[in-house]
Amino acid sequence: MPLLVLEDIYKHYRMGQTLVPVLKGINLRIHAGEMLAIGGPSGSGKTTLCNLMGLLDEPSRGKLFFQGQPTSQLNDYQSSRLRNHTIGFVFQTFNLIPVLSALENVSLPLHIQNVSSDIARRTAAELLEQVGLSAQAGHRPDKLSGGQQQRVALARALVTRPSLVIADEPTANLDSVTAMQILDLMQQLNRETRTSFIFASHDERLLSRVGRRLLLEDGQILSDLKPECMAG
Amino acid sequence: MWIEIAARNLRKNWRRSLFSIFAICIGFTAVNIFGGFTEYIFENLRESFIHGGGNGHVTVVKKGFLDQGRIDPVNYLLDETIQSSLRQQLDKLSGIAVVGYQLRINGLISNGEISTIFVAQGRQFSAYEAMREQARGIVSAKNYQGKSLLDNNVYEIGLSEGLSRALNLTLDTDGIVTSPTVDGYVNALDFKVAQVFRGAPEILDDKLLIVSLAFAQSLYDTRSVERINILLDEGIDTREFIRHLQQVCLTAELDVDIRSWDELSVFYNKVKNMFDILFAFIFAIVFLISAMSVVNTVSMAVLERTREIGTLRALGANRTQILRLFLIESGLLALIGVTAGLVLTLLVWWGIGESGLTWIPPQFTARVPLEVYLVPSYLMLATVVFLSLSVIATLSPVWRANRRGIVDALGHI
Repeated sequence: MPLLVLEDIYKHYRMGQTLVPVLKGINLRIHAGEMLAIGGPSGSGKTTLCNLMGLLDEPSRGKLFFQGQPTSQLNDYQSSRLRNHTIGFVFQTFNLIPVLSALENVSLPLHIQNVSSDIARRTAAELLEQVGLSAQAGHRPDKLSGGQQQRVALARALVTRPSLVIADEPTANLDSVTAMQILDLMQQLNRETRTSFIFASHDERLLSRVGRRLLLEDGQILSDLKPECMAG
Repeated sequence: MWIEIAARNLRKNWRRSLFSIFAICIGFTAVNIFGGFTEYIFENLRESFIHGGGNGHVTVVKKGFLDQGRIDPVNYLLDETIQSSLRQQLDKLSGIAVVGYQLRINGLISNGEISTIFVAQGRQFSAYEAMREQARGIVSAKNYQGKSLLDNNVYEIGLSEGLSRALNLTLDTDGIVTSPTVDGYVNALDFKVAQVFRGAPEILDDKLLIVSLAFAQSLYDTRSVERINILLDEGIDTREFIRHLQQVCLTAELDVDIRSWDELSVFYNKVKNMFDILFAFIFAIVFLISAMSVVNTVSMAVLERTREIGTLRALGANRTQILRLFLIESGLLALIGVTAGLVLTLLVWWGIGESGLTWIPPQFTARVPLEVYLVPSYLMLATVVFLSLSVIATLSPVWRANRRGIVDALGHI
């Protein structure tokens, strides 16, 4: 069973009296363990597509199935729970909670689940070690570099052992060396944990290193290059 | 974790938090100090009527006296038979500290040259003094010149300061009072001024006398009394006692009306109503100012942290969890404000007690200590109100933020 199925997905936004179409009939299947990069120019609909796949937004038309379940039938509580347990997010601007330390930020999704403090801290510490930030566990985000903050965000996305991690422009605010380190880390985690990763990015270096590559233009899929195609 | 997030955010925006805490603290203190002052006034008015005025907690009059007694006082007096029966019934009851008899009289008073009208309270001085001895607060202060009036010195009376001045009847001078008796004959009695007292209501200051019960009965040529005043032991429930006494009087077929002190004290009720309205007015203003401050703080916090709300929602926090986070934050704010308010209230209360401030209350001529009471019910009420306020103030901005889409919140700058 595919992890995600998108059937004829449309999304438009209202701007005043005008409806602005962003996605126009997207059909897509993503399987567990896949690493997918979504490329395309600005305004092509990358972020909107990520938001829909991450259950942060609802399509205007069409059907979206997450692990076989139609997402249109979920209420706020159910979709929140599904996000918390099965989806991790990495944002372009990291979106760490400024008053919490790195360790506390990573453990936050577990606290949302009402996991006990001890277990949450222990699990968060393991994840921080995995991303190489054990020494900075007690630091607040403003004491961390951009790369370190994105590592914390990645650890936070992975702390609940999700099936899917969605990263919107994860390297946009990072220098090239740090961007490659983050990408290496995600690829390593993908291999080790079979966690699916979906990226939206402009960054050609990132796009070129990912197994499956989707190109969007004007809200439509221009190309969907799977590993075998790329290899060919 | 949620409490830590809330506490750290309050600390992070400490200027704003401090302003709200200050508003709650000052509001809490203002409400409790003013409430404590009104309670001090009420307590002294109570004391003034019950002990100072010698009226006790319960008054017994003949049935119909309170409605018709002014027009036809003679027919609404308690005669010796009723007095005796009632006394027998009262002796069977517990919880009574003092029983006193009163006969109010009026007529003409003269210094030998000029006359004017008077109204007088004929009292059993022994009972009256016994009631005054138990008075607390400012009522216990001495408010007369001369000597104490005694039951045995029947013809020694007390004059209000205004009447003393009007007739030039000073201490130890003599005068005459005249009045019709209950049978309609004119009677006259000599008296000696033994006391000149202050504090009579302005309208009565040139008319008021205090005489012994025997003097009043002698002038009216009767053995009857107008009312029987009962002072209860401390801790006895007045309403419960009245219910019991009514039952006893009904069984004994005594045709009497029994009233509590607060039903008879018109002045107390007027002042209490006025202060209650003032208190409600001040409470409303203070509450409004504090509410606006908390609403402002929470609204700013919610607005500034819209992206944070979006992030938390993306990480899986549901709307209830977001609301809980901000409720903890505003609850902490209110709790700190109320605690600071409690400390400040105690400091002000202690400061007023220690400062020795004095004032002259209405109907007093001497300065008395200014006091503020600590009223647990007001402290509790203010605590509950300010905590509830913080919850209510949080609901609207968080509800609005929660209705916002996650994507919209994440894109907020």
